[in-house]
Amino acid sequence: MTAIPETTPAVPVAAEHDAARTRRRAERRRRLRRDRALLIMTVPAVLLLVVFNYVPMFGAATAFQNYSIYAGFMHSPWVGLETFRQLFADPLFWGALENTVVLSLVQLVLFFPVPIALAVLLNSIMSGKVRTIVQSVVYLPHFFSWVLAVTIFQEMLGGAGALNTALRQHGLATWNIMTDPGTFKYLITSQVVWKEAGWGIIVFLAALAAIDQNLYEAAAADGAGRWRRMWHITLPGIRGVVVLMLVLRLGNVLTVGFEQMLIQRGAVGRDAAEVLDTYAYYYGVVNANFSLGAAASLFKGVFSLIVILAANKIAHLAGEDGLYRR
Amino acid sequence: MSQPLDRRRFLGMAGLGAVAVAGGALIAGCGDAKTSSGPGTTNKDQLQLLLPAYVAAATGIKPDIPSVQGTNGFFSDAVFLSYPANPVTTSTGVPGKGGSYTATTPLWGAIPSSSGNAYYDAVNKALGATIKLQPADGSNYDKVLPTLFAGDKLPDWIQIPSWNMGLLGFADAVNKFADLGPYLSGDAVKAYPNLAAVPTAAWQCCIWNGKLYGLPVYYGGATFNGMLMYRKDIFDKEGINADEINTPDALAALGKQLTNAAAGRWAFDDLYGYLNNVFKFPADPNRWIIDSSGKILHRYETPGIVEALTWQQSMAKAGYIHPDALADKSQDAKQRFWSGKVVVTGDGAGAWAGDDAKSGQAANPTYNRQAFKIFAADGKPEVLMNPSAGMYSFLNAKLSADQVKECLAVANYLAAPYGSAEWLTVNYGTAGTDYTIVGGNPVLTERGNKEVATTYQFLITPLTSTTVKAGFTQVTKDYAAWQGEMVKYAVKPAFYGMNITEPAQYAKLTQPVEDAIKDVRYGRKPISAFQDAVKTWQSQGGNALRAFYEDIRQKYGTGQ
Repeated sequence: MTAIPETTPAVPVAAEHDAARTRRRAERRRRLRRDRALLIMTVPAVLLLVVFNYVPMFGAATAFQNYSIYAGFMHSPWVGLETFRQLFADPLFWGALENTVVLSLVQLVLFFPVPIALAVLLNSIMSGKVRTIVQSVVYLPHFFSWVLAVTIFQEMLGGAGALNTALRQHGLATWNIMTDPGTFKYLITSQVVWKEAGWGIIVFLAALAAIDQNLYEAAAADGAGRWRRMWHITLPGIRGVVVLMLVLRLGNVLTVGFEQMLIQRGAVGRDAAEVLDTYAYYYGVVNANFSLGAAASLFKGVFSLIVILAANKIAHLAGEDGLYRR
Repeated sequence: MSQPLDRRRFLGMAGLGAVAVAGGALIAGCGDAKTSSGPGTTNKDQLQLLLPAYVAAATGIKPDIPSVQGTNGFFSDAVFLSYPANPVTTSTGVPGKGGSYTATTPLWGAIPSSSGNAYYDAVNKALGATIKLQPADGSNYDKVLPTLFAGDKLPDWIQIPSWNMGLLGFADAVNKFADLGPYLSGDAVKAYPNLAAVPTAAWQCCIWNGKLYGLPVYYGGATFNGMLMYRKDIFDKEGINADEINTPDALAALGKQLTNAAAGRWAFDDLYGYLNNVFKFPADPNRWIIDSSGKILHRYETPGIVEALTWQQSMAKAGYIHPDALADKSQDAKQRFWSGKVVVTGDGAGAWAGDDAKSGQAANPTYNRQAFKIFAADGKPEVLMNPSAGMYSFLNAKLSADQVKECLAVANYLAAPYGSAEWLTVNYGTAGTDYTIVGGNPVLTERGNKEVATTYQFLITPLTSTTVKAGFTQVTKDYAAWQGEMVKYAVKPAFYGMNITEPAQYAKLTQPVEDAIKDVRYGRKPISAFQDAVKTWQSQGGNALRAFYEDIRQKYGTGQ
């Protein structure tokens, strides 16, 4: 019979933990030294985030105070959830929320696929020169202000604009699109498509460029036509980016624009054009009722956070990385 | 407010001036509910103690067309067709004692550079004190002000337009400013002859919480919101006589006659803001009237506003109003008028001036803007007047008594009347460098255009006069004649000149009603939408606000 040797630990358990901790610390320090340059490069951006995004978050306290500019944060009286109670009791708030969500969904369906389609189309253009020209022209409107964009739309499509003047001169009925509250959501979406679709293709073009060209050749060799190649290679290739952009878009579901609505609110009326941001502006900022504005914005922030976390989770369930993965 | 009171509307309200002795109006500045400093009351006797004495200017400067006395103490501008050839100097010696003060004023336009600015140097030298001007963007002035107040970073001298005061809860804000009563009330003002020449009506609206705080800026003898105007050259071509348009129906008939949409011409722009005198309801900033039975009514509750909205809506539906006006593009209204796309428009009095004629004639050499004679739906024309001044400047409460006196001496210089030597220096700088005299009137040189902007003038001005822009004398004469007629119908609305701060919780009630007004006047919703909005307004606070004003009427009267 062979005796089973009793193995006693070489060192006691506690000492083993200490050794492990020291090893981890040394490892961390080594990594810091190695990545020193990269970390320093992130410092300005982090500083910017801290100063302009995190520090102002303390201002959310005004949503729980009866804020007066003379009393400031320190001396304004606390009212707890009273401002929120006022907010939720206001039918205009719910109207604004409804408009915001509806506009967001319309834009999701009608605007979101456009940059993807444009990017795929642009990617298929052979001539590099044509590609560059088309790309430059298509993302130029992104740099215009909304005032300019709406003015252009008014000059082209407005009641006294180029289109309607031409229609009138030929004895045809005019088309009222700029002041029609019923079709306002489609007008807004078309304005966003005109202005932002070109800019949106940049991300997707980058994703398309990352697809291995050999896959296309192999598929073509196997007899796959243009549409089959797109369906089986191109679209799956950019799926990760599409899901990422979708999660971000959903996280911004309550942000449908401010300037664009503000400029056109008078033209179509409050019922069609009021969104959460303009509500916070007219009932908060304009009347110096900063508590109400802060409450509306805080509501928006919390809602968006919940949605973005949920969307990210769903993306994980679909097998994609989404916005981030732990 | 139905529209934010921007530079154009303000300049429309500014203008006209001369003396009016206010007849025993009572002032109240009431504290607002949240930050209450308590109602500041002034009864008739105390008011007489607060108001500076009035001593007519004895400078011997004679206008070409003297001002016309109207009703209720209002009067038209004095008119100068050219600058007096040998301007007199109205003040003796140099007002300042070498002090240095920071001053913040709004500015609608390019902000001139402060270094190497010959104009600033010249004026500061003449003043004998250094006023460090810090003009801020006028359109965003309402965003600058709260931060200055909250951070306690007020300059020594600050100007605040009346339309920015609501945002500040002014009854409390005003405590940061120096009480000028001890220096100016009663006979004390005689130490400053140009300030003594400021009409009592202008001083009256500078009183808050029972104390004299403000210096009036661009005040006039008959300040009002604006009037309906038309293109006389187009009327002549169409054979229309504007004098025959004296009822709303006659005006409506013009709609059909003048609109030719295929040719790109519509009869009307958005007239709602200027229909208030036709249909008898007050325009901003006047909000309340007292009807024949003695009841206090908000302008939303008057029958006149319903008539005006119905009138405009029928015009909109018939297609007589320019589509861009119906799309709320009010910032392009002047361009539409200049290019003849609309024939009848509404604007402030400041729009009828040489600068406007210059722009209009650039588009069309026959351009000729004229205003309709005042007419009303009930056949009894009336023009509701606004407080004399639209803007005020204030001295910081932290200044010492000597500093306040120095600033007031500087103000005395700045308030030198039109026609004096000081006025030319303050408004145009140095002869030769910044301006030259062309055809009898001062004209800025190229350098002057860069250096001279409305800066010192926003601290205090003399009584506004109507003047000529070189080459457009007829415009001035036309306007002066019209104004002389208009003051005959001037009346004081309820609570005239009383600086009442309403409790802040009622501020947000107006927005839904204003939105409904837009919906109705652009033809989107029926008049019942407006009436429903008013009912909501009444139940949510309008009636409580009425009780507030009823209280004020009991205690301090109506200012009429």
